[in-house]
Amino acid sequence: MTDTAPGLPRLGTTLFSLSLEQRKPGRDFASLVAEVAARDLGPGLEMVAFQSLRGWPRLDDAAVREVRGVIESSGLTPSCLAINNDLGLYPGRLLTDDESYEYVAVQVRGAAALGFPVARVGVETSPAILERLLPLAEELGVAVGVEIHAPLTIEAPPVAALKEFFVRLDTPWLGFIPDMSSSMRAIPEAVDDAHRAAGISPELTAMTKQLWAEPGPTVAKFPELERRAAQAGASPAQVGNLKMLFTMHGKMEPERWADFFPHVVHVHGKFYGIVDGPDGLTDPSIDWPRVARVLVEQRYTGFISSEYEAHAYSDRYDAFDQVRAQHDMLKGLLEAEASVVVAR
Amino acid sequence: MGPLDDQVVRADSLTATPDGLDIAVYSHWYRALPLPSLARVDLTVDGERIEPSSLSVTVNGQRHPFAALAEKGDEYWFTTDPVVLHVPVETAPGREHRVRLLLGLSIPYILTGPDRVPLVAPSLTDKTLTAAGA
Repeated sequence: MTDTAPGLPRLGTTLFSLSLEQRKPGRDFASLVAEVAARDLGPGLEMVAFQSLRGWPRLDDAAVREVRGVIESSGLTPSCLAINNDLGLYPGRLLTDDESYEYVAVQVRGAAALGFPVARVGVETSPAILERLLPLAEELGVAVGVEIHAPLTIEAPPVAALKEFFVRLDTPWLGFIPDMSSSMRAIPEAVDDAHRAAGISPELTAMTKQLWAEPGPTVAKFPELERRAAQAGASPAQVGNLKMLFTMHGKMEPERWADFFPHVVHVHGKFYGIVDGPDGLTDPSIDWPRVARVLVEQRYTGFISSEYEAHAYSDRYDAFDQVRAQHDMLKGLLEAEASVVVAR
Repeated sequence: MGPLDDQVVRADSLTATPDGLDIAVYSHWYRALPLPSLARVDLTVDGERIEPSSLSVTVNGQRHPFAALAEKGDEYWFTTDPVVLHVPVETAPGREHRVRLLLGLSIPYILTGPDRVPLVAPSLTDKTLTAAGA
């Protein structure tokens, strides 16, 4: 396994990285897990329960035994189970607080049954529901983490409210899951493939990337994006695709992740492509040296799940190779950063 | 928008049955979704618009009228499984059909706007394919 030195964040993979691989003929859950292990992409193993586990959220005992068996025989360590609070389950209304609690609680129990120490929810899970989940989380020994994903940043009101809430409760069983989509330095190259397929001109894509990169909060740039796109003749569907880039890729400074500590229960190593540049492996859209510095300085020793997401835009790259490259890059960065922090 | 769009309706998705045309449809979303998420099925076959109310849908081996899916919040359409749209149009094995489908999946955990409405993720297919025999 590509394990990092003791006292450092540990590496791992989420099966979400393999979303396209999952669809290939002959693939099943067991073969994906086995290949993650065979390619040394652990030790941590994360998955999205609703993506990977047929029958979720109601797995019978035989299914639980089967999933546990697959994970145990792989030698990987369960790191986090991504679960969902499907508030908009029914048309025209949101789940009530009681329904939402039950919907999530069943899945936290499922995470415990499968041996996962952390269950991930999204920011739609309110502090009130989280507070109700706390006794269950404590009893089961499963920390519930709220993922902070683009377009959220530390300044977003729901995130600020969560910060205050976690500080007040100060429990190891509730916390944040930073996702690097919130702190990117560029829109990924893989977007170009999806835009080409959707008939969006390279000029429109370039304009959107440039506007994104300009100073100022992304959320304030939507009207300008719409104006420039309409001027260039983009259709409403294309404008929707361009706006999605602003939603999926946040620009928070990586150093701001320090503000989420000590209430961090897991980390998503979101990325869209590693390239082999003149100075070795590098990520053009995420500044991993700065991220690694924060994690090491904060003495974070949990898992970083490699979460390759360029499959949403392009099938040109091999997800296994991409995770391999990210692991090699991260191991080097984390260990180099550790020697700097120790020397200080 | 993405590589899964091209897999929503596949080369072998059409089957001619005595009842009409069956179209196997795959999800463009990465996770299993509850059945009410199958919110929008704008379908035309050979230029003829198919009213959703005339469709029935087989999911997990069970056939439902399209409108009944909205009540089936405790059932899920698994990531790699197709659902089958049963379309009341005349067909026969070997016949070609132009299928234009705008599939809108309601994503129940991504709430948008001040009213917190679920995101509808669209995928557009426009393919001319040959129906196989049942």
